[in-house]
Amino acid sequence: MNRFLTYSFFLLFFFVSCGTYRYPNASGIRESEPKELNNYYLDTTRTFVYRAKLHAFKKDINGNLVVQTLGRNEHRVALVSDFGQTLFDVSISPDGHELHYAMHDLNKRIVVREIVNIFRTMTEQRHATSAVMFANQQHYYPVYVIDNCYYVLKERKVERIQQAKGTKEHLTIVYREWNEEDVPTKIAVEHKKFPLTIDLMLDVDQSAL
Amino acid sequence: MKTKLLYFLMILLLPYGGWAQTREMSASERASFQKSLQQLAEIKTISADFVQYKHLSFMKKPVESSGKLYLKHPDKLSWSYTAPFQYKMVFKDHKIFIDDQGKKQTIDVGNSKQFEKINTLVSSSMRGGKYDEKEFVVSYLKQGNADMVRLTPKLAGAKKYIKEIVLLFSSDKQIEEVKLVEPSNDYTRFVIKNRKVNTTIDESIFNL
Repeated sequence: MNRFLTYSFFLLFFFVSCGTYRYPNASGIRESEPKELNNYYLDTTRTFVYRAKLHAFKKDINGNLVVQTLGRNEHRVALVSDFGQTLFDVSISPDGHELHYAMHDLNKRIVVREIVNIFRTMTEQRHATSAVMFANQQHYYPVYVIDNCYYVLKERKVERIQQAKGTKEHLTIVYREWNEEDVPTKIAVEHKKFPLTIDLMLDVDQSAL
Repeated sequence: MKTKLLYFLMILLLPYGGWAQTREMSASERASFQKSLQQLAEIKTISADFVQYKHLSFMKKPVESSGKLYLKHPDKLSWSYTAPFQYKMVFKDHKIFIDDQGKKQTIDVGNSKQFEKINTLVSSSMRGGKYDEKEFVVSYLKQGNADMVRLTPKLAGAKKYIKEIVLLFSSDKQIEEVKLVEPSNDYTRFVIKNRKVNTTIDESIFNL
């Protein structure tokens, strides 16, 4: 009996820990034509300033998020509070990051890791070769898959990125509005593990050429 | 030869470049400056406009915002941004009242020493009071003809957030610029304009 319980426990543990996220209503994954996704932050001549509203762990922080494209998939992202204090300033590339500054209270490994993950996901251009299959194809928008990220397209633009970790959704980034140049003007970020949301609105006047 | 000529031209043109040198005040300059600051202690109210410039090392242009400030001695301060967004904060009765585009909240700072320090610093900076030499190394400087005070935090807690605070005074010894330098050397400049002293400030300014 004890042996049976031990085996059962290990089998349960094995299946739970090896479980993967399943996209809602998906019937499987198929190969797709190569597709470039998330082409929003490619122009190295532009710096974008977003009005940022953060709600993190029951605290509100308002400020500005600055996004500058340094090179192909290299971005410098800084968050500045309304009073002008730099909260963090980090260069992000697909393989790593360089932390230029983080305010003392935010300079913790796990915080920096999540900040980098959020803004890498938001700014990085990706190339997909797989897409989600749905039983009722007419009903759903195209959803491309790269690693653990699901890119939902609407009118040929990425409207939403859903990132999964294990069996659960970890992060959602929704591009709500765009300008004529297809630059996202309203973005909503929601962290699914921690109580963290970020609302961004493009400050057109300060987003310089 | 060309390089030498270039250096010569640079040296020749340097005085016209507007790079005002900063130097320590002499003992007499310092005494005179401190005396003139004492007169500002008579200030009961201040209202002014401000423009805030946030300089990040990698940006060509600073991020700009502007607003209005009202100070009523001894303990009321209203700080509101009007462009490019609306955001108002009122410091009074050991509380911070916030109006974020209609979304209101109150933070009770109670007997927070940190709050007291901020309040004292803002008040003494704007009213020309004495600077706390236990908290800061205070340097009295001249930048061109302008008077300047540099406050460098002494305590480890403050050093984590601020490298130095620089106050620039106008010829009539009014603060016209505050510069907060962060440990990363990024900095924020607050330029004070349209300053009015000892005018009546409607109490409703401090109500949120």
